[in-house]
Amino acid sequence: MMQRLLPFLSLILLFAGLAIASPHFLTNTNLSSVIRQTAVINIMALGMTLIIIAGGIDLSVGAILAMGGLMGTMAMERGFPITAGVGIGILTGLFWGSVNGMLTTRLRIAPFIVTLGTLGIIRGLTLIISNGLPVHRIPQQFSFLGEGNLLGVPFVLWILVVCALLTHLTLEHTRLGRYAFAIGSNTEAAVYAGIPVKFHTTAVYALGGMLTGLAGMIEASRLMTGQPTAGQGYELQAIAAVVIGGGSLHGGEGSVMGTLVGAFIMGLLSNGSDLLGVSPYLQQAIIGGVIILAVTLDEVRKRRVA
Amino acid sequence: MLALEGIQKRFGGVAALSDGRLDVQAGEVHLLLGENGAGKSTLMKIVAGMQERDGGRMLWNGREVNLRSPAEAAGIGIAMVHQESLLAPHLSVAENIFLGREERRPFGWVSRRRMVERAAGLIERHKFPLRADWRVERLSPAGRQMVEICRAIQHGSSLLIFDEPTSSLSEAETHEVFRIVKELRERRMAVIYITHRLEELRAIGDRVTILRDGKTIHTGPLEGLSTERIIQHMVGREISAIYRREPVPPGDELLRVEGLGRRGKLADINLSIRAGEIVGLAGLVGAGRTELCRCLFGVDPVDTGRISVAGREVKIGSPRQAVEAGIALVTEDRQQTGLALRLPIAHNVTLANLAGVSRRSILNRKAETGAASGYISRLRIRASSPHQLALRLSGGNQQKVVIAKWLFRNARVFLFDEPTRGIDVGAKAEVFAVMDELARSGAALLMVSSELLELLQVADRILVMRQGKITGHLAGRGATQEEIMRLATLAEPSGIGETIQ
Repeated sequence: MMQRLLPFLSLILLFAGLAIASPHFLTNTNLSSVIRQTAVINIMALGMTLIIIAGGIDLSVGAILAMGGLMGTMAMERGFPITAGVGIGILTGLFWGSVNGMLTTRLRIAPFIVTLGTLGIIRGLTLIISNGLPVHRIPQQFSFLGEGNLLGVPFVLWILVVCALLTHLTLEHTRLGRYAFAIGSNTEAAVYAGIPVKFHTTAVYALGGMLTGLAGMIEASRLMTGQPTAGQGYELQAIAAVVIGGGSLHGGEGSVMGTLVGAFIMGLLSNGSDLLGVSPYLQQAIIGGVIILAVTLDEVRKRRVA
Repeated sequence: MLALEGIQKRFGGVAALSDGRLDVQAGEVHLLLGENGAGKSTLMKIVAGMQERDGGRMLWNGREVNLRSPAEAAGIGIAMVHQESLLAPHLSVAENIFLGREERRPFGWVSRRRMVERAAGLIERHKFPLRADWRVERLSPAGRQMVEICRAIQHGSSLLIFDEPTSSLSEAETHEVFRIVKELRERRMAVIYITHRLEELRAIGDRVTILRDGKTIHTGPLEGLSTERIIQHMVGREISAIYRREPVPPGDELLRVEGLGRRGKLADINLSIRAGEIVGLAGLVGAGRTELCRCLFGVDPVDTGRISVAGREVKIGSPRQAVEAGIALVTEDRQQTGLALRLPIAHNVTLANLAGVSRRSILNRKAETGAASGYISRLRIRASSPHQLALRLSGGNQQKVVIAKWLFRNARVFLFDEPTRGIDVGAKAEVFAVMDELARSGAALLMVSSELLELLQVADRILVMRQGKITGHLAGRGATQEEIMRLATLAEPSGIGETIQ
């Protein structure tokens, strides 16, 4: 139990340490900016949590994020209302998530390969659709999604809280969530129990895609552009958040709480390094080291249980 | 050449060998016989250095040896040809033959040409139907065995152990293996040959050693030893004093299988099981019993035949359809097919029937915990709580969780494939008690077991399979191990194995 709380304790220690080390850390502006910066990765990581629990992986989420943002902003550019634009971004994510799910389950190809392929396909299509050019003519109010405040708190925090809550409820209190755990824990046993494994696996990828589409709209709102090259490397950050939070790439393990903690640990490390003047080059190395450390500690814990 | 005296080996609390004795001479083919689990494979693993003995002596050419690895065994001239070949499928025949013994040049360079030439020479000399440059993955099981044989010969072995070499081979391939074994004998090598097929014996063996329950029961020349005597030695026990299950009057027919066939695996399987019945399925490993269960549960497709559950014909193309038809499968490898080990007991119990604890996809976790608790007490599962992870349970209790899962799914036809493999005696008795309870509550049970005694204890009727066909149909009462053994091992059922309907 002690060790399961370890990521959580590290987050608190990190938070306290930064509060002491830098006078600029505990300010409203800084904390808001941490939240805004981490929200995109955080929401993607929620979807990734579902996928990883079900024993899969999705390397194409960075590309999905870019295409979602692009499609949504292009719709607004053509005069669609903002909500419709956001909806189109989310649906784009849903579409590609379903494609990933169907390819892995129907062709029976490892998800690592399938999504490596769709990563390329989606990136390419996004560049073709946009001609490689970002979308700029977006209604001003759209910035509220990523930059606005509601009741004195960044609007993205509300979105994150709602998404996290829904993901948590899905995982712990619905059949879909239970099947995700079962499929990730032992696919063969799930098949033998008569579970429609292909359908539920696809559904998990689709949900992951949806969340990524939403993250894409937030990213677009923060940049106020539909950027076809957005989200490069985000897939790895999302995976890292899940893994730091105790998710297992073998499937069957992971939690929403863990993922949130994982994403915030990475966010704070990056923010803290900025505040303390650590070189951004070194930052990357630090985060890399933290990933290995976190997974090592988690493995040690699991070996002791087994 | 090789002498084993009083070899002992324990696995946890189970004694696999208590008195293994064997002596093998150069230039003979020595047969090693025994029921499944008699200790043949363990004894041979000790000889081949794959396992260390706990007690007893092993003499090699008169000197006591202690082998700690297959490499050490190979070093003194002992090699094993495995039932499932341990070759690197993506490498060529020649590369496999010399694997680990490549001819080296300086800087770790491997001389490929020399290797292929030497392999070709070896293949030529023994007239193997192989080519040195073929990739092993494309070879048939027989071809792979020949590669293993080449490997053993090349390494200069003087004792070769064959572990059921013909169990996966066709008749022509079997003759090929026999030819090779005889040739090895002519070259004054010693061969230990494990087999289950009694009709093979005379074609190949010189002397025979029979193991039963971890002890060597008989050693001697094959000549003058009747098949009757061999079977008696293998089975041996008196079963009069043993518990037998009290049968219940059977009800309606729940499972009916007609003309079921799967190419190369099963042919013309007909059977019928009524509510309250436990039907045993006997046969040797590879006879098609597991294949039958897999087909009935929709894991493997069938080519012909019909399956009816409770009088209605059902189409079973996937486990899902089988589950929906009310069929449950409990396998020996519960960790592989039955349980999600890292999930709690409760989640495993409800896995096949989440609809039973949810409403419009939303789970009622209280109801779930309640259901699981109910089964924990009803099936006497020893667990601290329904939230305990399945991996923390003992084998017997894990098996009960699997059964609970199917009970919660309201399954009525239960297929048990070696349900008691790897669980201890006490837990076995409890699993039998649960099976008895299932039968009493109106389920139909098909039980595969390699332990004849188990079948005689539990089953109302016993079907015997051999090479994909049902070769015998015996009443549980009055059936004997000898009869079952005969039907399972001999191609032509004679006198004793008459069909009892």
